Amino acid sequence: MRLLGFLLLSAGALAAQPKSPQTKAIDWGQQQAEILRHFRALVQIDTTNPPGNETKAVDYLKKVLEDEGIPTQTFALDPNRTNLVARLKGNGSKKPLLIMAHTDTVGVQREKWPVDPFGAVLKDGYVWGRGTTDDKDKLVAVLMSMLLIKRSGAVLDRDLIFLAESGEEADPTGVGIRFMVDKHFDQIDAEFALSEGPGATIENGRVATVQITTTEKIPRRVRLVANGTSGHGSIPRLDDAVTHLSGAVERVGTWQTPMRLNDTTRTYFEKLATISSPEKAARYNDLLNPQRTAAAQRYLAEFEPIHNSMLRTSVVPTMLKAGIGPNVIPSEAEASIDIRTLPDEDIPQFMAQMTKIIADPAVKIEPLYATRPAAPPSRLDTEMYHALEHAANRVYPGSTTLPTMLTASTDMAQLRAKGIQSYGIGPALSSDDFANHAWHSDVERIPEASLYKFVEFTWNAVNEIAVKK
Amino acid sequence: MRLNDTTRSYFEKLATISSPEDAARYNSLLDPKTAPAAERYLAEHDPSRYSMLRTSIVPTMLKAGIGPNVIPSEAEATIDIRALPDENVPQFFAEMTKKIGDPAIKIAPLPIAHPPSPPSSVNTEMYRILEQVSKKMYPGVTVLPTMTTGSSDKAQLRAKGMLSYGIGPYASEADTAQYGAHGDVERLLESSLYNFVEFDWNVVTEVAAKK
Repeated sequence: MRLLGFLLLSAGALAAQPKSPQTKAIDWGQQQAEILRHFRALVQIDTTNPPGNETKAVDYLKKVLEDEGIPTQTFALDPNRTNLVARLKGNGSKKPLLIMAHTDTVGVQREKWPVDPFGAVLKDGYVWGRGTTDDKDKLVAVLMSMLLIKRSGAVLDRDLIFLAESGEEADPTGVGIRFMVDKHFDQIDAEFALSEGPGATIENGRVATVQITTTEKIPRRVRLVANGTSGHGSIPRLDDAVTHLSGAVERVGTWQTPMRLNDTTRTYFEKLATISSPEKAARYNDLLNPQRTAAAQRYLAEFEPIHNSMLRTSVVPTMLKAGIGPNVIPSEAEASIDIRTLPDEDIPQFMAQMTKIIADPAVKIEPLYATRPAAPPSRLDTEMYHALEHAANRVYPGSTTLPTMLTASTDMAQLRAKGIQSYGIGPALSSDDFANHAWHSDVERIPEASLYKFVEFTWNAVNEIAVKK
Repeated sequence: MRLNDTTRSYFEKLATISSPEDAARYNSLLDPKTAPAAERYLAEHDPSRYSMLRTSIVPTMLKAGIGPNVIPSEAEATIDIRALPDENVPQFFAEMTKKIGDPAIKIAPLPIAHPPSPPSSVNTEMYRILEQVSKKMYPGVTVLPTMTTGSSDKAQLRAKGMLSYGIGPYASEADTAQYGAHGDVERLLESSLYNFVEFDWNVVTEVAAKK
């Protein structure tokens, strides 16, 4: 409720600011019904992956776009898992802008949901359902941007490409971004891309920060496998695989990998310090002070684990498997380790260091299939990044724009690896909503007001960079 | 390390029939100054006898995780503990808790499979027959009463007052170490199987058949 009040106020403030002609033409209050209609329709289409069935969502998008006179093309490795591309042609003076979102969602455990996960139920100022924050909110934001720019009749400096992609949440068969990049890259090649990011934060009822992801950590999972002599549980063995594995898991799990900042994370912590409490600000600034960094890092490791993960390549044991019976020493024991490396990590050298940390020839490191390519961070000095900053200032007055590194990974990894400067954006959520109701949770929901503001934010950034001045 | 009457006489008797090197090692177990080196050797090369010296603690199973990218809220290990017959179990768990030194980890004892029971006497008709048959079938052999580090269903029988004795076929040191019970390559020498059946028949006939 408090949030709604603020957003109404900020919409009023918006009218006073200088705008391009197209901005003046849009009455955002008038757009809400259409935004909500498309959003609820898309949430109500079950695209949980596996199996995906993203074609059902693509059929909906195709109709909406074509009814508007926007031609579409579909690309499918699997007919049930179609990708959709739509293009508004520009005058060619600049390279295209790609705006994309994924149509699939993670699965649901229905019994844990307080509402129908595919009901798009409106309750307490929120829209509830699977995909409401991952990623159908972005899907609607980029869809509405296409529709509104088409309706405005504006001349574009660059092609605006819309991509609704399948298989982002899990893509063992490569139906989504890998298929589009490998087989149809000419359809989506662009100078810039906008895609999913953690979004903006609401503190004390106002939008405090607008986070733009410019880079993300790279998943490089491994298995640790220990081998030893099998035998009877009453007879201890020095080469017992379970004991050797457990020691290795403890050593990698408590390994403090070196802290290393890049341009994005350095700027993030510096800017965050300027808007934080004196205590927190001191801590963020201490990270760069050799005398104080150890204490600051320890604090973050305990109380702000996501910030700790932004400082370093993280090594997190997630699964253990050993044993065929309580009185049998197994000959093999294994652990899964979720490693998220910094974007510039030298992987062979990192694995060599990890071998030294494990310090046990009985334990082997087996790298798993690398799902994401390595890619350098997208730059902070581009026209796109500046347009996002401007949009944040217009739509969320008084907010601070923070470039940030996502600790998870998205399909932008594949785009950045192809040289597309890619930025992740998202709607404004409170810390409670981030912690308890966001992506993949059993109570996923989005504040209705945040959805409308996010569409406005996305349109602002797209409009500034694509429309001829 | 802690010996009892049975294991002390076992190592003493074993020393009398072992190579000078092995004999020296078994005897050195009885002297606190020389015991550590002997224990280290047994831990590495003779784990079965090593386990006769102490309560053993062997991790056998690990279970954790619901997905490679999810930190689970719980992780568990199964530990196979074989206590010496005189172990004070509550005190032992208190020591283990101290050794773990981590309040995030709880020790959850599993149901006790075998009741404690007193040793079966060596001064019985049954034991004497086992000795006689051994010496007849395997001339020159030494018969050793021993404490198994494993456990068997005889625990229930002994607890009901039945004098119970455990026997088995012969196997080389290498077979015991590499191809024994519960291993991935369990096997038995064929001739050993035939001899063991003969041994069993001899003992049963001697003790049960009317003279």
